[in-house]
Amino acid sequence: MKKKALIIPVALLTAILSACGSPTATSGDSKPKVDSHAKEIFDKYNGMTGTERTDALLKAAKDEGELSLYTSNTDMDAIVDGFTDKYDIDVNVYRGNSESVLQRILQESKAGFAGADLIETNSGELNVIGQEGLFYPYKGEYRDAVRPEGQKDTWTADRFNVFTIAYNTDLVKPADRPTSLEQLADPKWKGKISMEVGDIDWFSAMFNYYVEQGKTEQEVTDMFKAIASNAKVVKGHTVQAELLSAGEFAVGTSMYTHSVQEGTEEGRPIAWRTAANPPAQPLVIRPNGAGLLATAKHPAAAMLFMDYLLTDGQKDIADAYRVGSVPGANDPIAGLKTIEVDEDEMLNNAKKWDDLYAKILAGGEVTEQ
Amino acid sequence: MSVATTTPEQAPSVAPDATPPVWRRFIPTPKALILGVVALIVAYLAIVPLWFLIQGTFLDQNTNAFTLGGFTRAYTDDNAIEMMRNSVWFAVGSALLSLVVGTALAFLNVRTDVPFKGLFFAGSIVPLVIPGILYSVAWIFLASPDIGLLNYVLQPIFGKDVFDIYTVWGMIWVEGLHLSPITFLFMVAAFRAQDPSLEESALMSGASRWTVIRRITVPLLRPAIAASVLIMTVRSLESFEVPALLGLQNGIYVFTSKIYFMLRSYPQDFNGAGALALGLFAIAALGMLVEHLMSRGAKAYQTVTGKGFRPRPIELGKWRPLAGAGIIGYFVFTVLLPLLLLVYTSLLPYYQKPSAAAFKSMSFDNYSTLLHMSKATTALKNSLFLGFAAATLVMIIMAIAAWIVVRSGIRGRKILDLLSFAPLVIPGLVLGLSLQFVYLRVPIAIYGTIWILLIAYCTRYLPYGMRYAVTSMQQISSELEESAAVSGATWWQIFRRVLLPLLMPGLMAGWIYIFVVSFRELSSSILLYSSGNELLSILIWEQFENGKFTVLAALGVVMIAVLMVLVSIAYKLGAKVGLQQD
Repeated sequence: MKKKALIIPVALLTAILSACGSPTATSGDSKPKVDSHAKEIFDKYNGMTGTERTDALLKAAKDEGELSLYTSNTDMDAIVDGFTDKYDIDVNVYRGNSESVLQRILQESKAGFAGADLIETNSGELNVIGQEGLFYPYKGEYRDAVRPEGQKDTWTADRFNVFTIAYNTDLVKPADRPTSLEQLADPKWKGKISMEVGDIDWFSAMFNYYVEQGKTEQEVTDMFKAIASNAKVVKGHTVQAELLSAGEFAVGTSMYTHSVQEGTEEGRPIAWRTAANPPAQPLVIRPNGAGLLATAKHPAAAMLFMDYLLTDGQKDIADAYRVGSVPGANDPIAGLKTIEVDEDEMLNNAKKWDDLYAKILAGGEVTEQ
Repeated sequence: MSVATTTPEQAPSVAPDATPPVWRRFIPTPKALILGVVALIVAYLAIVPLWFLIQGTFLDQNTNAFTLGGFTRAYTDDNAIEMMRNSVWFAVGSALLSLVVGTALAFLNVRTDVPFKGLFFAGSIVPLVIPGILYSVAWIFLASPDIGLLNYVLQPIFGKDVFDIYTVWGMIWVEGLHLSPITFLFMVAAFRAQDPSLEESALMSGASRWTVIRRITVPLLRPAIAASVLIMTVRSLESFEVPALLGLQNGIYVFTSKIYFMLRSYPQDFNGAGALALGLFAIAALGMLVEHLMSRGAKAYQTVTGKGFRPRPIELGKWRPLAGAGIIGYFVFTVLLPLLLLVYTSLLPYYQKPSAAAFKSMSFDNYSTLLHMSKATTALKNSLFLGFAAATLVMIIMAIAAWIVVRSGIRGRKILDLLSFAPLVIPGLVLGLSLQFVYLRVPIAIYGTIWILLIAYCTRYLPYGMRYAVTSMQQISSELEESAAVSGATWWQIFRRVLLPLLMPGLMAGWIYIFVVSFRELSSSILLYSSGNELLSILIWEQFENGKFTVLAALGVVMIAVLMVLVSIAYKLGAKVGLQQD
């Protein structure tokens, strides 16, 4: 009996597990589910406006008592605190990187587990969730006030991440500050600029922009190769910002305006624009947003939070130097040339851009040697 | 219980003297029950993620059909040869560096009367505590050709750019030092269990000190050396932080940073990532086979026997000051400098070279930010609980599992050994997904609680627990168990009263390792934690994402302080349970 002691349980486990199917498969066999109670609530309040909507929502939300939010936004604390202070409704926050938020919600929905009421994350991940049919439409005047490019089919933008070129103000004299990405292909920038290894969205947007400007794909590829051969490749925007202010390199290519701006305000020698130097253009904007889950257990509270996000929450977003989705009085990117990330392309063809960007960055190394 | 069942040389199925009634044969003895349960737990923990890894590797994500496409994508690349060369260079270099450093430190600490012992036991653990990303960035600030402080200081004497951290050598330096505590802990345990009488006899027979080290000391350490080389090679082959922060800058790509590229965009290429992970697993299996063949004459390593073996420290004599100076030098370079840099950074509003202005801007703001961080207390409490529980559970289970692997004659015991290694090669994301998948479907409320994290941590640290326990078990002579059994002790009594105290140095080393590194676990935690179960590693990640590098440095400093105190306490307590050291 003992001889088999190990073999039997192993075989047994294997048999059980193989019956379970693969967890990594993307296409779920289950049809998208809509909770009938959630649908009823969403439909009811989607048709209401003004204080009537807010009051009725608040009452229903109080009965629900709490809500569960999954987000990848690390600046969310201020908004959550503001919401809780105002309405006295607890928000259970799960915060992970955008990939974790996506994986978690996909896994939960396949297992029929309603863990979240509301998702707030990057456009790419939201599009996947939307494509899987997990969101319920959100309507009303607050959504109508959002910039048109932020009113997506299945979700609504609450903020925009803006990718910019930033520089170390001690190392780059005002006259030399770049006004476009193309300039960084010049050999005089050799070893002085940095690129981030994961910014595929930014890369694809810039690539398409230069193609639209009349360059051939080969010319754009060559331009990026030239930039990459000048560049030190870094991982992560935080390290990039830290090394830029420490002077490890003079220019960063795809940095977030909000983190650069915050650095400028802290007194770091970094900037993406100054009084004399307008920012390098175009800027790449990528919406982040939120969507209501069709299986929400706390639909009214989720909707109330969504409303808050697009009204009072916009102030907190602006305080963090971010660009809100509802145009306000002091819009940091007003009058600047911006381009969008082609979201359909990134949703359906991400690997192509992934591979091309990886090749270009690695190619930079080949030409350097 | 008969003697026969506790003697490894004899098959355990030898019939007892008296034939019991048929029904009695189906009631397992307590020993069989304990061993069975432990084997089941280990197999279960390891097989769940391994199975998903295998499925994810061979099944197409869309069609669920069998595919080998992942292997093609994983192992064919324009720069495959160069990547392979870099990877091997980096992994072997780091493993060797940490082996040499860890062993030398452990030897000096345990076997000699070197000065500053207390200081450097604590110091040897510091690299383990610092999150990899902080350690790497600290080294950039110290040894980058452009902004490195060391280069700046040494420039007048040696000229420009003495150090360049952005080379494979730089990567080896950082990774090797970061891994060296693993070897140190292995070796401390191994040296403690070594029988110096063997060395003394050799000395008496006229062998030189060097011959003794070469012919006696090192060969006896072979199981510990093999185990730590195995773990460290695999670890540096899959290491991501150091290659990403130090390698990418100059376009040094290593093969397995590819796992990152495979998993970074949706839909994730689980086929490709799995193919890479299974490649690592094959390397590990090969390593274990070699280790197994090397330790064929298992009895040769059993230095803990019925005879007194209390190790006595070697008197260094005139070498003592030199050894002391060497240790100070080592600590200044590898522990103190990065640590000082972290402390310095933690006092600044943002990192800048030391200057009058920088010193003027210093404050404790970052520390007060920490104090006011919401969830900081919850996170600390949860991380402490998880670290303590995971380390304790893993080491208890693994002590018994190691007995199965080393001592029992059970067929298939090597499978258990191999299985327990699997979590080391499984990407954290895959581990997280597999646990999510299982516990979303079982009717017990584990999903969304801290227990799913505990299961994840126990799984993730199985391999370390197993290697630490097996290595120690191999040093203990089976004659001790035999004599206890002859004196009428049951298996459980023997295990508890004889083996456990003797295993204690090894178990303690494994415990400390797991306890400390569990504070840093992020890749599977980030998928599995929920609101209310926040962890320190999650807070660290948030600060990092938010660009608060100086706050992170402050958090790193606090973690080092807290964990050093806890580890010292644990070590003192552990020493009381185990054999008394001099």
